[in-house]
Amino acid sequence: MMVFSTMIYREMKRFMHSKARVIGSLVNPIIWLVLFGKGWSGAFNFPGASMIFGGVDYMTYLVPGIVAMTVFNMSFIQGITIIWDKQFGFIKEILVAPASREEAILGRITGGAITAMIQGVIILALSFFITSSLKLSGVIPTLGLSFIVGLAVAGMGVAIAMRMGSMEGFQMIMTMIMLPMTFLSGAFYPVKTMPNWMQWLAKVNPLTYAVDGSRYYLSGIAPTFSLTTDWIVLSGLAVIFMGIAVIEFRKATID
Amino acid sequence: MPRSLEKIMELIKMETEYAIEVENLVKKYGDFTAVKGISFKVKKGEIFAFLGPNGAGKTTTVHVLTTLLRPNEGRAVVAGHDVVKEPVEVRRKIGIVFQDPSTDRELTAYENMYIHGRIYGYSGDELKAKIEKMLRFVELWEFKDRPVKFFSGGMQRRLEIARSLLHEPEILFLDEPTIGLDPQTRAHIWEYIKAMREEHSMTIFLTTHYMDEAEQLADRIAIMDHGKIIAEGTADELKKLIGNDVIYVRMDEPKEGIKCLNAEFIRGCRIMPDGRVRLDVQNAAEAMPKLFELAQKNGLKILEVTYHRPTLNDVFLHLTGREIRDEGRERKVARMIMRARMRR
Repeated sequence: MMVFSTMIYREMKRFMHSKARVIGSLVNPIIWLVLFGKGWSGAFNFPGASMIFGGVDYMTYLVPGIVAMTVFNMSFIQGITIIWDKQFGFIKEILVAPASREEAILGRITGGAITAMIQGVIILALSFFITSSLKLSGVIPTLGLSFIVGLAVAGMGVAIAMRMGSMEGFQMIMTMIMLPMTFLSGAFYPVKTMPNWMQWLAKVNPLTYAVDGSRYYLSGIAPTFSLTTDWIVLSGLAVIFMGIAVIEFRKATID
Repeated sequence: MPRSLEKIMELIKMETEYAIEVENLVKKYGDFTAVKGISFKVKKGEIFAFLGPNGAGKTTTVHVLTTLLRPNEGRAVVAGHDVVKEPVEVRRKIGIVFQDPSTDRELTAYENMYIHGRIYGYSGDELKAKIEKMLRFVELWEFKDRPVKFFSGGMQRRLEIARSLLHEPEILFLDEPTIGLDPQTRAHIWEYIKAMREEHSMTIFLTTHYMDEAEQLADRIAIMDHGKIIAEGTADELKKLIGNDVIYVRMDEPKEGIKCLNAEFIRGCRIMPDGRVRLDVQNAAEAMPKLFELAQKNGLKILEVTYHRPTLNDVFLHLTGREIRDEGRERKVARMIMRARMRR
């Protein structure tokens, strides 16, 4: 467990040392929340508009989506920063140490998930100043869900990064994966009113389940799937992606 | 019975005498063979250097010995354990400073040391004491709370050395320990390496393409080129491979017209890329008058003569026809620039 906890320690330290970067990375979700959210809130201010959004105002509808998006983006980036470790020798450090490689990579993923969750919490805390109809009781379960999402997505990031090996494809993968997954998650508009083909894509998108669950906990909107489905799908994905990450990491000698 | 016992005793003695034993080691990358069947032994407590140009296979050998790469053929025993069969045992007993920087640049020196210590199973007061001792040893204790990204190249290197020593390895691998550092910093690092051997009585395996580094530090040197060890011995032994002195002659001839000189006092002759002729002789002071005589006899006009005691570079030149620095210098600069860029 020593190597596992050390890797989490390392992620936390790195997180705390990069305050400027952390604040910078929060600008994006804040823009979505304030400019996008407030803008559409005005437009959706006609009678019956809340019917589209499960009975709440648009802002209350949007917040859980933005929180889930933040966790998703941050944990994905956390996962993919392992390319830096590969390039700057930290991986080699681990490989020449008499330490469990599985523990090391799982610790790395868990650390990444925790830091992503913290950034989600910051956005959530800010949201309480923007809209007053969020449920305080939903914070803890949302955190739990965020952590699981973080594990799944950081695991996915690590697996991709170990395959990719270089920074070149980084930007491309980011736009190719993160943007469509965000739009297909129901973070901004309901899955139910999407065209059929989009609904189909939304259903295979793990982020959809994170948004669905968080939205129930924070806004009190009945889940599209069911809470059990949300938790099972996300936990299952976390296990699968972390497993793939471990396998990919095992293969990663510097041959 | 006593005979076989003697043999066993001898074997045990051999086992304990050598820190590293390598037999016919081969490492291939696809079609390219980086290490072409090398064999050597490193005695306990000695500083052993691999000297050779970039691409000679030095780093590949280090990576095999440190269990990062699997050899295709041959056998390597490090600290009494086979690198393929017992990698974890080997890892427990070795420390390494990689050629490329491998510190966490965002973290402080102390945090870097702390993480390394924990990975090697240390914790609590024991770890704290070890970190302080090692950071003081490399004179970085006062900078312990500064993020490594603010460290100079030399300071980063010192931190890496301190980190590699933290778990008290039996064998330390230093892969190009002073690459890219200025001369003053290099000399400083050498002092640490010497002090390390004195204080910790460890075996040090060093790779370098700097002749002066090998000469300054190593008890024994293996000269490596194109994946093979082409000579091995102490610096003096290697220098004895060529004559005692080296004379460079510049002649008043067009480059194409320059030929090697032949005489009984000339042990070796080579034409340099810059048009000078390089002669290996026993004693330059005695050879010089003979050389002028010879030139006059052949109707050659000598413009300039220089001579010096042989260096390891002369040895390398003698063995391969190239200078160690010939290849790679530009490539290395380009790589350093790349590395600097990637860090941003």
